[in-house]
Amino acid sequence: MTAEHRKFLKKNRARKIALHLSRILLLFVFIGGWELISYLEIIDPFIISSPSAVVKVIGRLYQSQQLISHVSASLWETVAGFLIATVLGTVIAVLLWFNTFLRDVLEPYLITLNSLPKIALGPIIIVWFGTGKTAIIFMSVLICIIITVIGMLSGFCNVDTEKIMLMRSLKGNKFTVMIKLVFSANIPTLLSVLKINVGLSWVGSIIGEYLSSREGLGYLIVYGSQVFQLDLVMASTVLLCFLAGGMYAVVSLLEKIIRKKFS
Amino acid sequence: MSILTVQNVSFSYHTVQEEVQALRNLSFSVEEGEFVGIIGPSCCGKTTVLNLLSGLFTPTEGEILLRNAPIRKSASRIGLMPQRDQLFAWRTIEKNVCLGLELLRENTPERKEYAIGLLRKYGLGDFIKKHPSELSGGMRQRAALIRTLVIQPDLLLLDEPFSALDFQTRLSVCDDVYKIIRQEKKTAILVSHDINESISLCDKIIVLSKRPATVKEEIPVEISRELTPLQKREDKRFNQYFKKIWSLLEDTNDCGTSKISKKE
Ligand SMILES: Nc1ncnc2c1ncn2[C@@H]1O[C@H](COP(=O)(O)OP(=O)(O)O)[C@@H](O)[C@H]1O
Ligand SMILES: [Mg+2]
Repeated sequence: MTAEHRKFLKKNRARKIALHLSRILLLFVFIGGWELISYLEIIDPFIISSPSAVVKVIGRLYQSQQLISHVSASLWETVAGFLIATVLGTVIAVLLWFNTFLRDVLEPYLITLNSLPKIALGPIIIVWFGTGKTAIIFMSVLICIIITVIGMLSGFCNVDTEKIMLMRSLKGNKFTVMIKLVFSANIPTLLSVLKINVGLSWVGSIIGEYLSSREGLGYLIVYGSQVFQLDLVMASTVLLCFLAGGMYAVVSLLEKIIRKKFS
Repeated sequence: MSILTVQNVSFSYHTVQEEVQALRNLSFSVEEGEFVGIIGPSCCGKTTVLNLLSGLFTPTEGEILLRNAPIRKSASRIGLMPQRDQLFAWRTIEKNVCLGLELLRENTPERKEYAIGLLRKYGLGDFIKKHPSELSGGMRQRAALIRTLVIQPDLLLLDEPFSALDFQTRLSVCDDVYKIIRQEKKTAILVSHDINESISLCDKIIVLSKRPATVKEEIPVEISRELTPLQKREDKRFNQYFKKIWSLLEDTNDCGTSKISKKE
């Protein structure tokens, strides 16, 4: 190793450490600042709450055994919506790849549905599915599925035609082309769709809970704002941050494992 | 005896905008063990010829016979090497090379052994478990050629296999491919728009007109087959062949008529 390269590595490591430290610092500044502004009553703490109040609320929720039930309700709805939408959306994309006529028939509808704000359908969903978890999961699926279909299908259609020709010259039928080429080539597409769906499925379940529910973080946020308990609203939002971040981390881990397998 | 006969073949593409006649009354034949070059201006229909020969398309008119049987019914096997290597990024070189065996359900231990033997023989022994992204352009091209050889084809079709390589790699890969095809005693058709490349590799060169392609002339190359492509370039007849083919080649086609050709 040359001295120059060592210097480069050192600089690189220093940058990494600085990066991590800055991130932690930023978090502390944010929390500290928030606490301070609230403590000194620069802004009315009734409106902005404070980190210590948030911790207290979470502790109280935990003691009254409500924390687990609210968190698990939201988590269950979100994960169910996420999985159903991803699997179903991918299956639909596969079917549309096989049947180009059907694909062309559905194209304008997919595009319209994609640009429609799915939230507008909320009231209808409640009429159809009642006020239970089904309606919320359906909302979450609805928000994720269209983008899954569109994303996967465009990935499938972008596979090099020369590769398809190659497989066909080796007597591969459409089914083997799908499995051995088109789907395998789109594992990265699937991973990026998963990442998008993490965010979208949370949007779906929280919106669903806003509209109708007696449980979950979305319910707590709405309830808190109705009775002017902003501490509860903030606490629920903080919990939401952790859950969504955690789910993203799981997907990232999955991505790392898969990418490692492929190179 | 001819292994392949192409008789009065015509072929047209149909798009909503127009009908593109790619080939018109194309006839030629290939002998067993021969290395035949097809040369023509770009977009004249060279890839189309290969797609017809590999049975992916059916001629609008005319007939293609492989070992005296119509090509789509023939039991004989064809190995197609596309313009770019088209190795699958997610498969190891070994798995890539065995793709054909998998698809043809011939993934027996002996055939796999044969595949690995070829990889070793042609300098890819250390890369069997590697992924294509870890190989140089020339190595990838060799792997792609081995992928076509593994299925033991009766006829090899090479579609401008060197066009994506830089000049230096091109010369050495040319030598490699020539050596491999001669050693494995294969019959091959090489499509190209590079005159030098065609003369240095082939025993016979078929010059195509511009689109719709038809055979302008067949030129036997009488330089010893024992020489490597690089050595052939030194031969004094090389330049005469070059001049002859150069004078036969017409202006390049305007590729821009159809959407598909723009992708190239
Ligand atoms: N799928 C297709 N549909 C319509 N036209 C095509 C298609 N493929 C090729 N062509 C046209 O046929 C002609 C010959 O194409 P090709 O055989 O790929 O040429 P080459 O390989 O000699 O460059 C070109 O003009 C091209 O525009
Ligand atoms: Mg071509």
